[in-house]
Amino acid sequence: MRLTKRLGAVYATSLTLASLALPNLLHAQGAIKAGSKEIQIHSFFSQGYAYSDSNNFLTMDTSSGTAAFTDGGINAQTQITGKLRAGGQLYLRNVGQLGNWHPEGDWFLADYRVKDWLGFRGGKVKSALGLWNDTQDLTFLYNWALLPQSVYPLDLRANTISHLGGDVYGTVPLKKAGSVAYTVYGGQRPSDLQGGIVYGLLGSGITVNSYGGTVIGEDVKWTTPVKNLMAGASFLDLDVTTQGTRISNSKPYSVFTQKDHTEAAYAEYSLWRLTFDAEGRREIQDVYKVGLKTGGNGTAAADMRGGFLSATGRVNKWLQVGTYHSRYYPNWPIKPRGIAANHLFDQTFSARVDIKSYLDFKAEGHFMNGTTGPNSYHGFYSLDNPAGEQPTTKLVILKLSYHM
Amino acid sequence: MKLRTALHILTLATLAPATALYAGDVKIIANPSVAETSVSADDLKGIFLQTKNSLGSAHVIPVLHKGGVLEDSFCQKYVGRNDSALQTYYRSLVFTGRALMPKEFDTDDEVVAYVAKTKGAVGFVSASAKLDGVVVLAVK
Repeated sequence: MRLTKRLGAVYATSLTLASLALPNLLHAQGAIKAGSKEIQIHSFFSQGYAYSDSNNFLTMDTSSGTAAFTDGGINAQTQITGKLRAGGQLYLRNVGQLGNWHPEGDWFLADYRVKDWLGFRGGKVKSALGLWNDTQDLTFLYNWALLPQSVYPLDLRANTISHLGGDVYGTVPLKKAGSVAYTVYGGQRPSDLQGGIVYGLLGSGITVNSYGGTVIGEDVKWTTPVKNLMAGASFLDLDVTTQGTRISNSKPYSVFTQKDHTEAAYAEYSLWRLTFDAEGRREIQDVYKVGLKTGGNGTAAADMRGGFLSATGRVNKWLQVGTYHSRYYPNWPIKPRGIAANHLFDQTFSARVDIKSYLDFKAEGHFMNGTTGPNSYHGFYSLDNPAGEQPTTKLVILKLSYHM
Repeated sequence: MKLRTALHILTLATLAPATALYAGDVKIIANPSVAETSVSADDLKGIFLQTKNSLGSAHVIPVLHKGGVLEDSFCQKYVGRNDSALQTYYRSLVFTGRALMPKEFDTDDEVVAYVAKTKGAVGFVSASAKLDGVVVLAVK
């Protein structure tokens, strides 16, 4: 089984490198011509190494040191008419037990821009939520090797990353008050059987067959009249159904969402060579579970809260440094919040070296306090830490990223 | 006193390269299909951030002059971010399916030639560029 996975990983790595090398060659020549149309091709790839002093994190064997921290993508886009554009992107990742090299259609869409203030996108579309939801895989854009896990958990990426449906979007000028960019969307959230929820439930003795549902959301970004200040807010309404089987008795296990609302508020400000970002999130969730361990059915509720503050500074053309403080509470009403199972704090220090315009290297230290408990599925899993979790974790990440 | 003089010289030396070419030395050009003679600073910013794709009745697309002092000067003055930050912004659009990467050229002549032949193209060149087949847009 392990050999099969290893061979699969070698095969997938070779395939990934080959598929990523091709667009580079093509891109180096410009873009592909298809009749009178030009097709732009772009790709990205990142390879990380993670080492922690105690707990294994994000399903990786970080306590031994691991390079199972890879992702990449390739996209193609073309402008069909002045107002109509179409394209798609393939994405795959292998982060510990997540992703497992399964390629997925990350986004594929047609976009029709009627006016500056009105456009439509349809297909599989990246969801606008908070500062960085739609770009969270693209760490080459950021100073960070790992985005703040309070708001952008790597293991729960699929919960919010995209929807199969449509967007209405546009930018409305407000004269002296700046401008507002809005996105309203709805559709079906894709089922991700390679993510953290499915892995976490496996640790609780449940195999998941399907995990998806509908999503409705909106996002508003206000470019304020204050130079380099942007502020925004988002709302997301999920209706997810999980269908699975309890391994111990082969009986069905289901979770039906009764309410799952996420609210986000965020801001970004740049001054000279400095950039400051802040985001706060709250997710209120009520679910109905069928097939509890005790045999019956029941409800569960959670009030998840999190947020971060970050600062980055460009030292020179090659070097950028930054720090963030991230806080996550899996269920705010549960006290005391100070114990490890009820929170996850992360103070991070990061340095980014821009080796070339298309190649960067990051070194990052995380000083984490808390583990969010065994049933939170937020970075720490009982399957990876069978002897129990330590209250603190120090983690070092090295990451090389390229994009073209 | 000597220290103060030295600091003045150091300040001037630091600022000199940045002021050697400022946005006043940049000309905004457009394909003749853009039936305008001027563009507001907000609209110009919107065009280069790809939040605005029309000017008057014309569909418009941005064209970049790759790297260097000219691009940085233009970006700082009209887009509100340096060329590196603008590239990062474009990548965030390209890799999420929000937009295409704008065309980039190394020289004024190449920018002028592309803008002249491409319907709706809007670009920027140095004030000394030879302008054939394009219209100049005044920034209001």
